[in-house]
Amino acid sequence: MSAEPVAATSAESAPHEHLPVDEPPDEDVRARRLAQRRRYAVELRRLLPDDAVLSSEEELRPYESDGLTALKATPLLVVLPETIEQVQQIMRWARDHSVPVVARGAGTGLSGGALPHEDGVLLGLAKFNRILELDPSRGFARVQPGVRNLAISDAARPHGLYYAPDPSSQIACTIGGNVAENAGGVHCLKYGLTVHNVLSVTVVTIDGDLITLGSEGHDSAGYDLLALITGSEGMLAVVVEVIVKLLPVPPVARLLMAAFDSVEAAGDAVGRVIAAGIIPAGLELMDKPAIIAADAFAQCGYPTDAAALLLCELDGTEEEVVSQIQQVSDVFSGARAASLHVAQSEEERLLLWKGRKSAFPAVGRLAPDYYCIDGTIPRRQLSHVLQRMEQLSSEYGLPIANVFHAGDGNLHPLIMFDAGKPGELHRTEELGSRILQLCVEVGGTVTGEHGVGLEKINEMCVQFDAATLTQFHAVKAAFDPDGLLNPGKAVPTLQRCAEFGAMHVHHGELPFPELERF
Amino acid sequence: MNDSDESAGLIDTVRQAASSAVVLRITGGDSKKRLGNRISADATDQAFSTLSHTGIISYEPTELVVSVRAGTPLQRLNQVLDDAGQMLAFEPPEFPGSTIGGVLACGMSGPRRPFNGSARDYVLGTRIINGQGQDLSFGGEVMKNVAGYDVSRLQVGAWGTLGVLLDVSMKVLPRPEAEMTLVQDANAEDTQSFISLLRQPWPLSGAMLLDNRRYLRLSGSEASVRAAARELGGEAPDTEDAGIWQSVRDQSHHYFLDRSEGQTLWRISVADHAPELALQGEWLHEWAGAQRWVKTRQSADEVFQAARSAGGHAIRYDEGPAGEPAFQPLEGAMLRLQSRIRDSFDRERLFNRGRFHPELDAGQSYPTAGST
Repeated sequence: MSAEPVAATSAESAPHEHLPVDEPPDEDVRARRLAQRRRYAVELRRLLPDDAVLSSEEELRPYESDGLTALKATPLLVVLPETIEQVQQIMRWARDHSVPVVARGAGTGLSGGALPHEDGVLLGLAKFNRILELDPSRGFARVQPGVRNLAISDAARPHGLYYAPDPSSQIACTIGGNVAENAGGVHCLKYGLTVHNVLSVTVVTIDGDLITLGSEGHDSAGYDLLALITGSEGMLAVVVEVIVKLLPVPPVARLLMAAFDSVEAAGDAVGRVIAAGIIPAGLELMDKPAIIAADAFAQCGYPTDAAALLLCELDGTEEEVVSQIQQVSDVFSGARAASLHVAQSEEERLLLWKGRKSAFPAVGRLAPDYYCIDGTIPRRQLSHVLQRMEQLSSEYGLPIANVFHAGDGNLHPLIMFDAGKPGELHRTEELGSRILQLCVEVGGTVTGEHGVGLEKINEMCVQFDAATLTQFHAVKAAFDPDGLLNPGKAVPTLQRCAEFGAMHVHHGELPFPELERF
Repeated sequence: MNDSDESAGLIDTVRQAASSAVVLRITGGDSKKRLGNRISADATDQAFSTLSHTGIISYEPTELVVSVRAGTPLQRLNQVLDDAGQMLAFEPPEFPGSTIGGVLACGMSGPRRPFNGSARDYVLGTRIINGQGQDLSFGGEVMKNVAGYDVSRLQVGAWGTLGVLLDVSMKVLPRPEAEMTLVQDANAEDTQSFISLLRQPWPLSGAMLLDNRRYLRLSGSEASVRAAARELGGEAPDTEDAGIWQSVRDQSHHYFLDRSEGQTLWRISVADHAPELALQGEWLHEWAGAQRWVKTRQSADEVFQAARSAGGHAIRYDEGPAGEPAFQPLEGAMLRLQSRIRDSFDRERLFNRGRFHPELDAGQSYPTAGST
């Protein structure tokens, strides 16, 4: 797979500039937007109940960013429909008036995918929050897109069933957003991503058509559009209903914790578990800074003198789990584990997971701000990537803690910084960009589960060549010929890549630094 | 068998075809010749084989990933994985000569499908040639990847109409430690009996119903398979049923080989809980009731109608009369959308024109050579 990427990859970095979305627009633009806001509000209130159209500055402010709070923009309007027919009307209206539409669930995304468009409408799906049907005998739940991920498992559990994907934000994030990002979680090595756990998705296109992709069976006629829509970041259509697969809750789940004297030894132990023919339900690796932060936060009894920690969960029938716990213990001992511990109770198992799941806020207490990166690498490259990251960390003078979905190679470096210090956010973003380029260099990808959004739009130019990006744009145009859904996100224009690449050539010296970029 | 990277030549052929508007009939091992719509062979159509583009590009058992060229025989790939104690967990059918490219293009999965996932579930990355003769790579060799649209999985089951598969990367899984088949007496009408099984955490890897017998396959550790077998009950397969999972998967079982006068074989995909379909014929229920085979004398329209009213779709598995579609016809907004997706990869309908859903190729003006 030999094609030249649009921007060259080298160790030298390009300045990572984001859209200057929070810069004040000039007077003419502001006046034009205010006039549009008034006109569009009147038109949309003909289609929707009055309180479903938000237009005042105070009402719009809560929607100005998603989980990536460094990026902010005020939409022209926020609309909060509550029926599918209303969504169809909004979409047809938007198409007829060429108004951009950005869909939003709970707004927990970390890549700016739900960042509003300043000349567009933000389509909030919060009112679509009902579980429409939960059928234990048929093993599925039919839900509206605004239903929270965890609410599905909570509703299914009395029937001995659950919904498998469990992203860390599962208490707040919604299933519609999970579909848009193909969300994973700590158990996806064994149970798969959203794409593996969704039976069908009903969408509204920009033409207002209502189309169901997938079926209650295992496949459907024609192309597999269910796979295509999953992870498409709101660029192709708006999700209005989802049927998720429910799995039987495994009768037994046990957690094994192993400490190691080096990250390399822990990485090696992961490879040996897989080689032994075992697919754990979860396999998580933390480095020393992450262990210390998580233990201080959750007081979960991690060995804070360890250089690396593995959490390995095994689930299934009692017989299966007993035999696998023994096998994995043997493998870890053979891989020079400094200590081994099996959680002695369900309370302890949950406490040990709590440490891992609160790693992000825990790191947040060590520094005024942190920035979470989301690259995936082939697991064999782990030591090399960690060493290079350590070098980059000292080069930029910014500490990094690492949590790693070790089973599937998804790395989450957390860069600690202080946004109050002039220029530090910019340097942090630049360091993040270098780390993502490193992931691509070793055969990985710039995003494992958080999505490209607006955050990683430049790094897409490093990962893909011009012809491939053009094919992506053609796929988008098949759904949305006028480019009205979430414009500017997920797939960069060739022009943008050329500019990113051109800046690269100049070794970080910006040509015409006084100009606004992109 | 020698490894050989023939991608340059294949790309060149597509470019020439694009410039002269020649339709390419893509083949691998030609093992699925009888499937799909019959193409009225135009004199200008050109056979286009990926069979010589063969070999395993990389395989790292501890990464659970294998990358192969499309023309690699499935049998050879299975052997290499087996030697390392691993497998393709979607358990694809192996017809004589099947290549991995053909299996993925036709989106075929075997008995493990309802328990372990489908062919598309295991695809991580693809390298394809689109209708403009461009060499494009999507996805990669990592398990989690949301950079760009998931074009790799879109290729699976597209019958080559969205591009020629050159190379694919797939996730592989360890072979289970133990496996056991149970045969139980069953009522042929009792397809709903699978339902209660599916909502319990049994270590199942196969469930089918044929000739008043229910076959269950268990996979996992020795201990868990033995424990489940004790609770579920049933007999070990007799000599006649030895190797039944493989013979059903590969359609070498007598059910798939024999036809009475006038019978046509159809695959009907529905929800596992769908009621009995109103079609007369001989049935075989696989995938715990979600993949139903029927040998019937009823017309294509009647089969499509029955599948549609059960919320599913049908595919003909025998050659049929000219003009009668092999796939459940697409309609309405779905047809318009899928046609535009076909446009976006192969606007001039170079690849397998007429073979898949002809309605995706109809009503299109095909610009002549050089008009782009």
